[in-house]
Amino acid sequence: MTIRTRLSLWYASIMFIALMVMGVLLYYQLVIEPRQEAQRHHREQDEESVDPDVFEDVTGIVFSCGIPAALLAVAGGWWLMKKSLSPIASLTRATERITAQNLGERLSRTDNGDELDRLTEVFNSMLARLDDSFNRIREFTLHASHELKTPLTVLRGETETALRDESLSLAERERADSQLEELHRLTKIVDGLTLLAKADAGQVALNLEVIPLDELVRDNFADLQILAEPQAIKVELAACEKISVRGDRHRLRQLLLNLADNAVKYNQPQGTVTMSLHRAGDVAEFKISNTGAGIPAEVLPRVFDRFYRGDAAHGNAVDGCGLGLSIAQWIVSAHNGSVKIESGSAKLVTVTVRLPIVETK
Amino acid sequence: MRVLVVEDEKKTASFVRKALQAEGFAVDICHNGDDALAAASATPFDALVLDIMLPGRDGLGVLRVLRERKNMTPVLLLSARGEVNERVEGLNAGADDYLPKPFELAELVARVRALMRRSGENKSTTLRVADLTLDTLTHKAQRGGAEIELTAREYRLLEFLMRSAGRLCGRMMILEKVWDYNFDPGTNLVDVYVRRVREKIDANFEPKLLHTVRGSGYVLKETP
Repeated sequence: MTIRTRLSLWYASIMFIALMVMGVLLYYQLVIEPRQEAQRHHREQDEESVDPDVFEDVTGIVFSCGIPAALLAVAGGWWLMKKSLSPIASLTRATERITAQNLGERLSRTDNGDELDRLTEVFNSMLARLDDSFNRIREFTLHASHELKTPLTVLRGETETALRDESLSLAERERADSQLEELHRLTKIVDGLTLLAKADAGQVALNLEVIPLDELVRDNFADLQILAEPQAIKVELAACEKISVRGDRHRLRQLLLNLADNAVKYNQPQGTVTMSLHRAGDVAEFKISNTGAGIPAEVLPRVFDRFYRGDAAHGNAVDGCGLGLSIAQWIVSAHNGSVKIESGSAKLVTVTVRLPIVETK
Repeated sequence: MRVLVVEDEKKTASFVRKALQAEGFAVDICHNGDDALAAASATPFDALVLDIMLPGRDGLGVLRVLRERKNMTPVLLLSARGEVNERVEGLNAGADDYLPKPFELAELVARVRALMRRSGENKSTTLRVADLTLDTLTHKAQRGGAEIELTAREYRLLEFLMRSAGRLCGRMMILEKVWDYNFDPGTNLVDVYVRRVREKIDANFEPKLLHTVRGSGYVLKETP
């Protein structure tokens, strides 16, 4: 029950009781007292003057007036509560709008110095503190990933230089090769981290244009065929409707390739990958599903988390930087779209991306 | 062939110098923008490797002044930021190429070489390496008189490799030219495609033309 309903009911009950008390008092003053007075006056006169209907009359009046008055009180109370609680309602709506992405926003104050104004103030200062710590974390990640690049460049360069040395023994060469491999991995992680840190800080500008999504999907399907070939994975483009979206060409290609690559990486030999692009109302729906080990239900909500690795990906069975899906999710949301991942009973994993359609003539 | 490397990070400057010297380039080094500008104005270099983040005048500043002075030395920009916008900004300022840090050494060398060749690029419509020919008008490939079927992507890959015949082509370079990806997608797309093209042009023929340079990329040439 909302505060508004509760308070209205309380208000109506109190009003009703007050009206009843008033009714009783009025009855006493207007009927009982005059009657006693009259009885004193006319004790010796004719005894027939007491009117027995007066009692029922007044009760009738109390009830026939009291109930509509009480109803009026309910309506009035309801309105009053709405009026007094509306600042709280708007405060709630404003607070709901604020997420980690727009912590810079502040709730507007009424400036009439009441309790709600004070509450707004407290909220705002809490938001400011949150905003501050979020910004610090973002800046830290951004700086950390930049700072890592210089030593990484030096490490890679020097390892590669060492590998050029013809006099290297086989063991030394293998060691340097393995170091280089890890350095490549580290580079991918740092690159992914930089991109996400920049995206969090709103520093990645998208180069938006009208993109024929179907062409991108066809292109991506061609790459998928190639990626799937070594493991004899069957690929299928089930549908590819002509659809345009407003987006950044490079980012959308990165998204599609990323999903195609995952669908192959987490597949099984002789498995399948099915891709489709449909129009679903005013959104473009891109689906890609693959066979494989499937994803347990409890893991599903976490697969978009940064550096989250399901059991399947542990033990280096699958190589990757652990940021692919986080990047995919960022690309989709930067395009005002949504992405979800499902894993059915048939161990089929389906990723669905929805992007708003742009109508072209 | 003389190259000026402008890089404030001493170790990076040092291994870039070594790598370029190993390829037969004469290498000069500057550690800040003003020195670089003075050096580039005093000496005619064949190419410039220019880091964007420099103390004092930054790489883009140096580049703009050079181009204002009508100095058209090919420039390869290096940057630790690696942003798409920065790349566009660099190319607009007159750079010829852009490489994000950390980079592969071989990639850097390949790009410096490509810079110098750019002006004298092969304009012929028939590319030829040994008995392998590619017609850039009809997109037909032949080896030893036998026609080779190529998909659109395979054609673009082969065309790029043949245009750069004899030179090392790094994976990032291939991704950029053949796929138009300016990010590292972290897949083995390039390797798989190269394998397919190799099957088509090399499997039934001798000598083998398409060679893998371990850890660096690929090169198409007659002698291994």
